[in-house]
Amino acid sequence: MSSSVSARVWLVVALLATLHLLLHVSFSMDGGAPDLLTLGLLLASREIGTGRAASLGLFWGLLEDALSVLSFGANSVAMTILGIGGALTRDLFVGDSRFFLVSYVFIGKWTRDLFHWIAVDSGQRQPFVEEVLVDGGIASLYLVPVGVLVAMVTGLGRDK
Amino acid sequence: MPPYAPEPESNGRQRELFVAGVVLVLAFSAMFLSGGSQQQIAGVFQTSFLRPFTEVQLRREVARLRGVAVEDMRSLVDSLTLMLITHAAVVDENETLRELLVLGERAGAQYRPATVLRPGTPGSESMFLVDVGAEDGLRQGSAVVGPAGLIGVIREVRSRQAVGMDWTHPDFRVGAMIEDGSAYGLVERWEGEFREADRLVLNGIAFNQSVARSSRVVTSGAGGIFPRGIPIGRTQEVFDTEGSWRKSYWLDPFVDPASTTHVLVLTRDVDLDATRIWPGDSIAAADRAPVSGGAS
Repeated sequence: MSSSVSARVWLVVALLATLHLLLHVSFSMDGGAPDLLTLGLLLASREIGTGRAASLGLFWGLLEDALSVLSFGANSVAMTILGIGGALTRDLFVGDSRFFLVSYVFIGKWTRDLFHWIAVDSGQRQPFVEEVLVDGGIASLYLVPVGVLVAMVTGLGRDK
Repeated sequence: MPPYAPEPESNGRQRELFVAGVVLVLAFSAMFLSGGSQQQIAGVFQTSFLRPFTEVQLRREVARLRGVAVEDMRSLVDSLTLMLITHAAVVDENETLRELLVLGERAGAQYRPATVLRPGTPGSESMFLVDVGAEDGLRQGSAVVGPAGLIGVIREVRSRQAVGMDWTHPDFRVGAMIEDGSAYGLVERWEGEFREADRLVLNGIAFNQSVARSSRVVTSGAGGIFPRGIPIGRTQEVFDTEGSWRKSYWLDPFVDPASTTHVLVLTRDVDLDATRIWPGDSIAAADRAPVSGGAS
Protein backbone atom coordinates (compact mmCIF):
# COMPACT_ATOMS: atom_id res chain seq x y z
CA MET A 1 0.00 0.00 0.00
CA SER A 2 1.49 3.31 -0.99
CA SER A 3 1.92 6.06 1.57
CA SER A 4 -0.69 8.29 -0.14
CA VAL A 5 -3.26 5.48 -0.02
CA SER A 6 -2.34 4.79 3.59
CA ALA A 7 -2.79 8.43 4.54
CA ARG A 8 -6.14 8.52 2.79
CA VAL A 9 -7.29 5.39 4.64
CA TRP A 10 -6.35 6.79 8.03
CA LEU A 11 -7.93 10.15 7.19
CA VAL A 12 -11.19 8.45 6.24
CA VAL A 13 -11.06 6.32 9.36
CA ALA A 14 -10.50 9.37 11.55
CA LEU A 15 -13.32 11.33 9.87
CA LEU A 16 -15.76 8.43 10.18
CA ALA A 17 -14.84 7.92 13.82
CA THR A 18 -15.26 11.62 14.61
CA LEU A 19 -18.61 11.75 12.84
CA HIS A 20 -19.73 8.57 14.60
CA LEU A 21 -18.89 9.94 18.03
CA LEU A 22 -20.50 13.28 17.24
CA LEU A 23 -23.74 11.65 16.12
CA HIS A 24 -23.91 8.94 18.74
CA VAL A 25 -22.32 10.59 21.78
CA SER A 26 -22.72 14.34 21.31
CA PHE A 27 -26.13 14.25 19.67
CA SER A 28 -27.38 11.01 21.27
CA MET A 29 -28.83 9.75 17.99
CA ASP A 30 -28.33 6.06 18.82
CA GLY A 31 -30.02 3.98 16.12
CA GLY A 32 -30.88 7.08 14.13
CA ALA A 33 -27.29 7.40 12.98
CA PRO A 34 -25.35 4.67 11.13
CA ASP A 35 -22.53 2.74 12.81
CA LEU A 36 -19.68 4.61 11.15
CA LEU A 37 -17.04 3.07 13.43
CA THR A 38 -17.86 -0.37 12.07
CA LEU A 39 -17.98 0.99 8.54
CA GLY A 40 -14.59 2.61 8.93
CA LEU A 41 -13.13 -0.57 10.34
CA LEU A 42 -14.61 -2.69 7.56
CA LEU A 43 -13.28 -0.44 4.82
CA ALA A 44 -9.90 0.11 6.42
CA SER A 45 -9.24 -3.50 7.40
CA ARG A 46 -8.97 -4.49 3.73
CA GLU A 47 -6.30 -1.88 3.24
CA ILE A 48 -4.09 -1.90 6.30
CA GLY A 49 -3.31 -5.54 7.04
CA THR A 50 -4.47 -7.99 9.67
CA GLY A 51 -2.41 -6.77 12.61
CA ARG A 52 -3.31 -3.12 12.22
CA ALA A 53 -6.93 -3.99 11.53
CA ALA A 54 -7.06 -5.97 14.76
CA SER A 55 -5.41 -3.10 16.64
CA LEU A 56 -7.80 -0.59 15.15
CA GLY A 57 -10.69 -2.86 16.06
CA LEU A 58 -9.45 -3.14 19.63
CA PHE A 59 -9.07 0.64 19.86
CA TRP A 60 -12.58 1.30 18.52
CA GLY A 61 -13.96 -1.39 20.79
CA LEU A 62 -12.33 0.13 23.86
CA LEU A 63 -13.74 3.53 22.89
CA GLU A 64 -17.23 2.09 22.81
CA ASP A 65 -16.68 0.02 25.93
CA ALA A 66 -15.62 3.17 27.78
CA LEU A 67 -19.15 4.47 27.26
CA SER A 68 -21.00 1.23 28.00
CA VAL A 69 -21.90 0.68 31.60
CA LEU A 70 -22.14 -3.08 31.43
CA SER A 71 -20.09 -5.86 29.84
CA PHE A 72 -16.81 -4.05 29.41
CA GLY A 73 -14.80 -5.73 26.67
CA ALA A 74 -17.69 -7.00 24.57
CA ASN A 75 -17.23 -4.28 21.98
CA SER A 76 -13.46 -4.76 22.04
CA VAL A 77 -13.79 -8.46 21.25
CA ALA A 78 -16.43 -7.91 18.57
CA MET A 79 -14.50 -5.13 16.82
CA THR A 80 -11.18 -6.97 17.01
CA ILE A 81 -12.67 -10.08 15.46
CA LEU A 82 -14.31 -7.90 12.82
CA GLY A 83 -11.04 -6.20 12.00
CA ILE A 84 -9.24 -9.52 11.65
CA GLY A 85 -12.11 -10.98 9.64
CA GLY A 86 -12.26 -7.97 7.37
CA ALA A 87 -8.55 -8.18 6.69
CA LEU A 88 -8.75 -11.91 5.96
CA THR A 89 -11.44 -11.38 3.33
CA ARG A 90 -8.73 -9.72 1.28
CA ASP A 91 -7.25 -13.19 0.73
CA LEU A 92 -10.59 -14.72 -0.15
CA PHE A 93 -12.28 -12.07 -2.27
CA VAL A 94 -10.80 -9.58 -4.68
CA GLY A 95 -13.79 -7.40 -3.90
CA ASP A 96 -13.93 -5.04 -6.83
CA SER A 97 -17.65 -5.28 -7.44
CA ARG A 98 -20.54 -3.28 -6.01
CA PHE A 99 -22.28 -6.52 -5.05
CA PHE A 100 -19.30 -7.54 -2.96
CA LEU A 101 -19.22 -4.17 -1.21
CA VAL A 102 -22.92 -4.34 -0.37
CA SER A 103 -22.61 -7.90 0.94
CA TYR A 104 -19.40 -7.12 2.78
CA VAL A 105 -20.81 -4.14 4.63
CA PHE A 106 -24.11 -5.87 5.42
CA ILE A 107 -22.54 -9.11 6.64
CA GLY A 108 -19.76 -7.24 8.41
CA LYS A 109 -22.11 -5.07 10.43
CA TRP A 110 -24.44 -7.96 11.18
CA THR A 111 -21.50 -10.13 12.26
CA ARG A 112 -20.25 -7.36 14.53
CA ASP A 113 -23.63 -7.24 16.26
CA LEU A 114 -23.69 -11.02 16.51
CA PHE A 115 -20.27 -11.18 18.14
CA HIS A 116 -21.18 -8.37 20.48
CA TRP A 117 -24.35 -10.20 21.51
CA ILE A 118 -22.34 -13.36 22.15
CA ALA A 119 -19.68 -11.49 24.16
CA VAL A 120 -22.16 -9.67 26.37
CA ASP A 121 -23.00 -11.38 29.64
CA SER A 122 -26.10 -13.52 29.15
CA GLY A 123 -27.94 -11.83 32.00
CA GLN A 124 -27.60 -8.42 30.46
CA ARG A 125 -28.33 -8.89 26.78
CA GLN A 126 -31.59 -8.61 24.91
CA PRO A 127 -33.19 -11.65 23.26
CA PHE A 128 -31.32 -12.85 20.19
CA VAL A 129 -34.20 -12.26 17.81
CA GLU A 130 -34.70 -8.70 18.96
CA GLU A 131 -31.10 -7.57 19.23
CA VAL A 132 -29.36 -9.49 16.47
CA LEU A 133 -32.01 -10.43 13.92
CA VAL A 134 -34.27 -7.39 14.06
CA ASP A 135 -32.17 -4.49 15.35
CA GLY A 136 -28.95 -5.84 13.88
CA GLY A 137 -30.60 -6.55 10.53
CA ILE A 138 -32.08 -3.07 10.32
CA ALA A 139 -28.78 -1.45 11.33
CA SER A 140 -26.94 -3.53 8.72
CA LEU A 141 -29.39 -2.52 6.01
CA TYR A 142 -29.02 1.09 7.08
CA LEU A 143 -25.24 0.91 6.88
CA VAL A 144 -25.14 -0.50 3.34
CA PRO A 145 -26.11 2.66 1.41
CA VAL A 146 -23.89 4.73 3.69
CA GLY A 147 -21.02 2.34 3.05
CA VAL A 148 -21.54 2.45 -0.70
CA LEU A 149 -21.60 6.24 -0.60
CA VAL A 150 -18.42 6.46 1.49
CA ALA A 151 -16.66 3.93 -0.74
CA MET A 152 -17.64 5.90 -3.83
CA VAL A 153 -16.45 9.18 -2.39
CA THR A 154 -13.21 7.93 -0.86
CA GLY A 155 -12.29 5.17 -3.28
CA LEU A 156 -11.84 2.69 -0.43
CA GLY A 157 -13.12 -0.89 -0.77
CA ARG A 158 -11.87 -1.29 -4.34
CA ASP A 159 -9.07 -3.60 -5.43
CA LYS A 160 -5.96 -1.66 -6.35
CA MET B 1 20.87 -20.36 -3.49
CA PRO B 2 18.86 -22.38 -1.06
CA PRO B 3 15.96 -24.13 -2.76
CA TYR B 4 13.32 -23.14 -0.12
CA ALA B 5 14.27 -19.66 0.88
CA PRO B 6 11.69 -18.07 3.12
CA GLU B 7 9.50 -15.59 1.29
CA PRO B 8 9.51 -12.10 2.74
CA GLU B 9 5.81 -11.86 2.02
CA SER B 10 5.18 -15.01 4.05
CA ASN B 11 7.18 -13.65 6.95
CA GLY B 12 5.20 -10.43 6.94
CA ARG B 13 2.01 -12.42 6.82
CA GLN B 14 2.98 -14.46 9.84
CA ARG B 15 3.91 -11.37 11.74
CA GLU B 16 0.54 -9.80 10.90
CA LEU B 17 -1.28 -12.88 12.11
CA PHE B 18 0.81 -12.97 15.24
CA VAL B 19 0.01 -9.35 16.05
CA ALA B 20 -3.65 -9.99 15.31
CA GLY B 21 -3.59 -12.94 17.68
CA VAL B 22 -1.99 -10.92 20.44
CA VAL B 23 -4.52 -8.15 19.95
CA LEU B 24 -7.34 -10.66 20.05
CA VAL B 25 -6.02 -12.05 23.31
CA LEU B 26 -5.85 -8.52 24.69
CA ALA B 27 -9.42 -7.90 23.61
CA PHE B 28 -10.63 -11.04 25.36
CA SER B 29 -8.59 -10.23 28.43
CA ALA B 30 -10.34 -6.86 28.66
CA MET B 31 -13.52 -8.78 29.42
CA PHE B 32 -11.94 -10.54 32.35
CA LEU B 33 -10.18 -7.61 33.97
CA SER B 34 -11.27 -6.59 37.44
CA GLY B 35 -13.95 -3.93 37.72
CA GLY B 36 -11.43 -1.38 38.93
CA SER B 37 -9.09 -1.99 36.01
CA GLN B 38 -11.96 -1.77 33.55
CA GLN B 39 -13.00 1.52 35.10
CA GLN B 40 -9.45 2.83 34.86
CA ILE B 41 -9.26 2.02 31.17
CA ALA B 42 -12.70 3.52 30.58
CA GLY B 43 -11.65 6.61 32.52
CA VAL B 44 -8.59 7.09 30.34
CA PHE B 45 -10.72 7.00 27.21
CA GLN B 46 -13.44 9.18 28.71
CA THR B 47 -11.01 11.90 29.74
CA SER B 48 -9.04 11.87 26.52
CA PHE B 49 -10.56 10.84 23.21
CA LEU B 50 -14.19 11.00 24.29
CA ARG B 51 -13.97 14.21 26.32
CA PRO B 52 -14.82 16.66 23.49
CA PHE B 53 -17.83 14.61 22.48
CA THR B 54 -19.19 14.22 26.00
CA GLU B 55 -18.65 17.96 26.54
CA VAL B 56 -20.76 18.75 23.50
CA GLN B 57 -23.44 16.39 24.76
CA LEU B 58 -23.35 18.04 28.18
CA ARG B 59 -23.72 21.53 26.72
CA ARG B 60 -26.55 20.39 24.48
CA GLU B 61 -28.35 18.89 27.46
CA VAL B 62 -27.89 22.07 29.52
CA ALA B 63 -29.22 24.15 26.62
CA ARG B 64 -32.17 21.80 26.22
CA LEU B 65 -32.98 21.96 29.93
CA ARG B 66 -32.82 25.76 29.82
CA GLY B 67 -35.17 25.70 26.85
CA VAL B 68 -37.57 23.45 28.75
CA ALA B 69 -37.33 25.72 31.80
CA VAL B 70 -38.14 28.78 29.68
CA GLU B 71 -41.09 26.97 28.12
CA ASP B 72 -42.34 25.94 31.56
CA MET B 73 -41.99 29.48 32.88
CA ARG B 74 -43.79 30.88 29.86
CA SER B 75 -46.64 28.42 30.38
CA LEU B 76 -46.74 29.37 34.04
CA VAL B 77 -46.83 33.08 33.27
CA ASP B 78 -49.59 32.49 30.68
CA SER B 79 -51.61 30.48 33.19
CA LEU B 80 -51.15 33.12 35.87
CA THR B 81 -52.10 35.91 33.48
CA LEU B 82 -55.22 34.02 32.42
CA MET B 83 -56.06 33.35 36.05
CA LEU B 84 -55.61 37.02 36.94
CA ILE B 85 -57.74 38.16 34.02
CA THR B 86 -60.49 35.70 34.90
CA HIS B 87 -60.16 36.56 38.56
CA ALA B 88 -60.51 40.30 37.87
CA ALA B 89 -63.63 39.69 35.79
CA VAL B 90 -65.14 37.46 38.45
CA VAL B 91 -64.34 39.96 41.21
CA ASP B 92 -65.88 42.74 39.15
CA GLU B 93 -69.03 40.75 38.46
CA ASN B 94 -69.22 39.66 42.06
CA GLU B 95 -69.05 43.25 43.23
CA THR B 96 -71.76 44.31 40.77
CA LEU B 97 -74.01 41.47 41.88
CA ARG B 98 -73.45 42.34 45.53
CA GLU B 99 -74.31 45.97 44.89
CA LEU B 100 -77.34 44.90 42.90
CA LEU B 101 -78.43 42.69 45.77
CA VAL B 102 -78.25 45.62 48.17
CA LEU B 103 -80.11 47.77 45.67
CA GLY B 104 -82.72 45.05 45.16
CA GLU B 105 -83.34 44.91 48.90
CA ARG B 106 -83.88 48.66 49.01
CA ALA B 107 -85.98 48.72 45.84
CA GLY B 108 -88.34 45.91 46.83
CA ALA B 109 -90.32 43.53 44.66
CA GLN B 110 -91.32 46.15 42.10
CA TYR B 111 -87.83 45.89 40.58
CA ARG B 112 -87.01 42.57 38.93
CA PRO B 113 -83.39 41.41 38.60
CA ALA B 114 -82.35 40.53 35.08
CA THR B 115 -79.34 39.55 33.07
CA VAL B 116 -78.32 41.72 30.15
CA LEU B 117 -77.49 40.16 26.79
CA ARG B 118 -75.94 42.13 23.97
CA PRO B 119 -76.76 40.87 20.45
CA GLY B 120 -73.45 42.21 19.15
CA THR B 121 -74.71 42.46 15.59
CA PRO B 122 -74.29 45.55 13.37
CA GLY B 123 -77.07 48.05 14.06
CA SER B 124 -77.81 46.60 17.47
CA GLU B 125 -75.51 48.99 19.31
CA SER B 126 -77.26 50.64 22.23
CA MET B 127 -79.77 47.78 22.33
CA PHE B 128 -79.88 44.91 24.77
CA LEU B 129 -82.02 41.99 25.80
CA VAL B 130 -83.11 41.17 29.32
CA ASP B 131 -84.26 37.73 30.42
CA VAL B 132 -87.49 38.96 32.02
CA GLY B 133 -90.70 39.89 30.18
CA ALA B 134 -94.41 40.55 30.42
CA GLU B 135 -94.91 37.51 32.64
CA ASP B 136 -92.61 39.16 35.16
CA GLY B 137 -94.58 42.39 35.11
CA LEU B 138 -92.50 44.40 32.62
CA ARG B 139 -94.09 47.00 30.39
CA GLN B 140 -92.93 49.17 27.56
CA GLY B 141 -91.04 52.12 29.04
CA SER B 142 -89.91 50.29 32.17
CA ALA B 143 -86.78 51.87 33.61
CA VAL B 144 -83.64 49.76 33.60
CA VAL B 145 -81.31 50.60 36.44
CA GLY B 146 -78.10 49.42 38.02
CA PRO B 147 -76.40 50.00 41.35
CA ALA B 148 -75.05 53.35 40.13
CA GLY B 149 -78.18 54.65 38.48
CA LEU B 150 -80.11 54.80 35.23
CA ILE B 151 -79.02 52.56 32.35
CA GLY B 152 -81.87 52.71 29.88
CA VAL B 153 -85.46 51.88 29.14
CA ILE B 154 -87.44 48.88 27.89
CA ARG B 155 -88.81 49.33 24.36
CA GLU B 156 -90.33 45.97 23.46
CA VAL B 157 -91.81 43.44 25.84
CA ARG B 158 -92.29 39.75 25.06
CA SER B 159 -93.61 37.11 27.38
CA ARG B 160 -90.28 36.10 28.91
CA GLN B 161 -87.90 38.53 27.32
CA ALA B 162 -87.67 42.22 26.63
CA VAL B 163 -85.65 44.51 24.43
CA GLY B 164 -84.25 47.70 25.86
CA MET B 165 -82.12 50.64 24.83
CA ASP B 166 -79.46 52.26 26.94
CA TRP B 167 -78.72 55.98 27.21
CA THR B 168 -76.35 55.87 24.23
CA HIS B 169 -79.32 55.33 21.89
CA PRO B 170 -80.22 58.37 19.74
CA ASP B 171 -83.87 58.16 20.87
CA PHE B 172 -83.08 58.17 24.54
CA ARG B 173 -84.66 61.05 26.54
CA VAL B 174 -85.38 61.39 30.21
CA GLY B 175 -86.79 64.22 32.28
CA ALA B 176 -84.18 65.25 34.83
CA MET B 177 -83.46 67.64 37.62
CA ILE B 178 -80.67 68.74 39.87
CA GLU B 179 -80.94 66.51 42.93
CA ASP B 180 -82.00 69.38 45.21
CA GLY B 181 -84.76 70.37 42.75
CA SER B 182 -83.20 73.74 41.90
CA ALA B 183 -83.37 73.22 38.14
CA TYR B 184 -85.27 70.96 35.73
CA GLY B 185 -84.41 69.90 32.20
CA LEU B 186 -84.20 67.05 29.74
CA VAL B 187 -81.27 64.64 29.49
CA GLU B 188 -80.45 63.30 26.06
CA ARG B 189 -77.56 61.79 24.25
CA TRP B 190 -75.14 63.98 22.36
CA GLU B 191 -73.54 62.11 19.49
CA GLY B 192 -69.77 62.22 19.46
CA GLU B 193 -67.50 61.78 16.44
CA PHE B 194 -67.36 58.10 17.28
CA ARG B 195 -69.42 55.95 19.60
CA GLU B 196 -66.99 56.05 22.47
CA ALA B 197 -67.28 59.83 22.39
CA ASP B 198 -71.08 59.84 22.94
CA ARG B 199 -72.00 61.96 25.94
CA LEU B 200 -75.04 63.03 27.91
CA VAL B 201 -76.32 66.56 27.88
CA LEU B 202 -78.71 68.23 30.32
CA ASN B 203 -80.86 70.50 28.16
CA GLY B 204 -83.48 73.13 28.87
CA ILE B 205 -81.98 74.86 31.88
CA ALA B 206 -83.17 78.46 32.14
CA PHE B 207 -80.47 80.90 31.11
CA ASN B 208 -80.57 82.85 34.32
CA GLN B 209 -80.33 79.71 36.41
CA SER B 210 -76.87 78.77 37.58
CA VAL B 211 -76.01 75.11 38.06
CA ALA B 212 -72.92 74.36 40.07
CA ARG B 213 -70.37 72.06 38.54
CA SER B 214 -70.55 68.48 39.82
CA SER B 215 -74.19 68.78 40.81
CA ARG B 216 -75.92 65.44 40.89
CA VAL B 217 -78.60 64.98 38.27
CA VAL B 218 -81.46 62.55 38.85
CA THR B 219 -84.66 61.66 37.04
CA SER B 220 -87.41 64.17 37.70
CA GLY B 221 -90.35 61.79 37.25
CA ALA B 222 -91.85 64.13 34.67
CA GLY B 223 -93.86 62.21 32.08
CA GLY B 224 -94.58 59.32 34.39
CA ILE B 225 -92.19 56.87 32.73
CA PHE B 226 -89.21 57.04 35.03
CA PRO B 227 -89.67 57.29 38.77
CA ARG B 228 -88.27 60.37 40.39
CA GLY B 229 -84.80 60.18 41.93
CA ILE B 230 -82.85 57.72 39.77
CA PRO B 231 -79.25 58.99 39.46
CA ILE B 232 -78.12 59.85 35.95
CA GLY B 233 -74.87 61.75 36.22
CA ARG B 234 -73.02 64.78 37.37
CA THR B 235 -72.95 68.17 35.65
CA GLN B 236 -69.79 69.42 33.99
CA GLU B 237 -69.20 72.66 32.16
CA VAL B 238 -71.77 74.49 30.02
CA PHE B 239 -72.24 72.80 26.68
CA ASP B 240 -74.27 75.36 24.78
CA THR B 241 -76.46 78.40 25.16
CA GLU B 242 -79.46 79.31 23.01
CA GLY B 243 -79.90 83.04 22.78
CA SER B 244 -80.27 84.41 26.23
CA TRP B 245 -83.05 82.15 27.43
CA ARG B 246 -81.70 78.57 27.65
CA LYS B 247 -78.49 76.70 28.21
CA SER B 248 -77.31 73.13 28.50
CA TYR B 249 -74.63 71.31 30.44
CA TRP B 250 -72.45 68.33 29.80
CA LEU B 251 -73.20 65.39 32.05
CA ASP B 252 -70.76 62.83 33.35
CA PRO B 253 -72.91 59.66 33.50
CA PHE B 254 -72.81 57.36 36.50
CA VAL B 255 -73.28 54.20 34.44
CA ASP B 256 -71.25 52.73 31.59
CA PRO B 257 -73.85 50.66 29.69
CA ALA B 258 -71.21 48.67 27.81
CA SER B 259 -69.94 47.02 30.95
CA THR B 260 -73.35 46.29 32.41
CA THR B 261 -74.17 42.62 32.86
CA HIS B 262 -76.86 42.56 35.54
CA VAL B 263 -79.66 45.09 36.07
CA LEU B 264 -82.93 45.72 37.82
CA VAL B 265 -86.03 46.41 35.72
CA LEU B 266 -89.01 48.33 37.03
CA THR B 267 -92.36 46.47 36.88
CA ARG B 268 -95.92 47.74 36.58
CA ASP B 269 -96.33 48.29 40.28
CA VAL B 270 -94.40 51.47 39.98
CA ASP B 271 -93.54 53.64 42.90
CA LEU B 272 -92.93 57.07 41.42
CA ASP B 273 -90.41 58.04 44.02
CA ALA B 274 -87.15 56.21 43.82
CA THR B 275 -85.20 58.66 45.92
CA ARG B 276 -84.94 56.26 48.86
CA ILE B 277 -83.47 53.54 46.63
CA TRP B 278 -80.38 55.58 45.81
CA PRO B 279 -79.38 57.37 48.97
CA GLY B 280 -76.52 59.82 48.88
CA ASP B 281 -73.85 57.24 49.80
CA SER B 282 -74.62 55.00 46.83
CA ILE B 283 -74.28 57.92 44.48
CA ALA B 284 -71.07 58.88 46.17
CA ALA B 285 -69.83 55.33 45.48
CA ALA B 286 -70.74 55.73 41.83
CA ASP B 287 -68.88 59.02 41.79
CA ARG B 288 -65.65 57.24 42.51
CA ALA B 289 -65.64 55.78 39.02
CA PRO B 290 -67.35 58.29 36.73
CA VAL B 291 -67.97 57.28 33.14
CA SER B 292 -66.98 59.55 30.28
CA GLY B 293 -68.15 57.58 27.23
CA GLY B 294 -71.07 55.35 26.43
CA ALA B 295 -70.17 52.78 23.82
CA SER B 296 -72.05 49.55 24.03
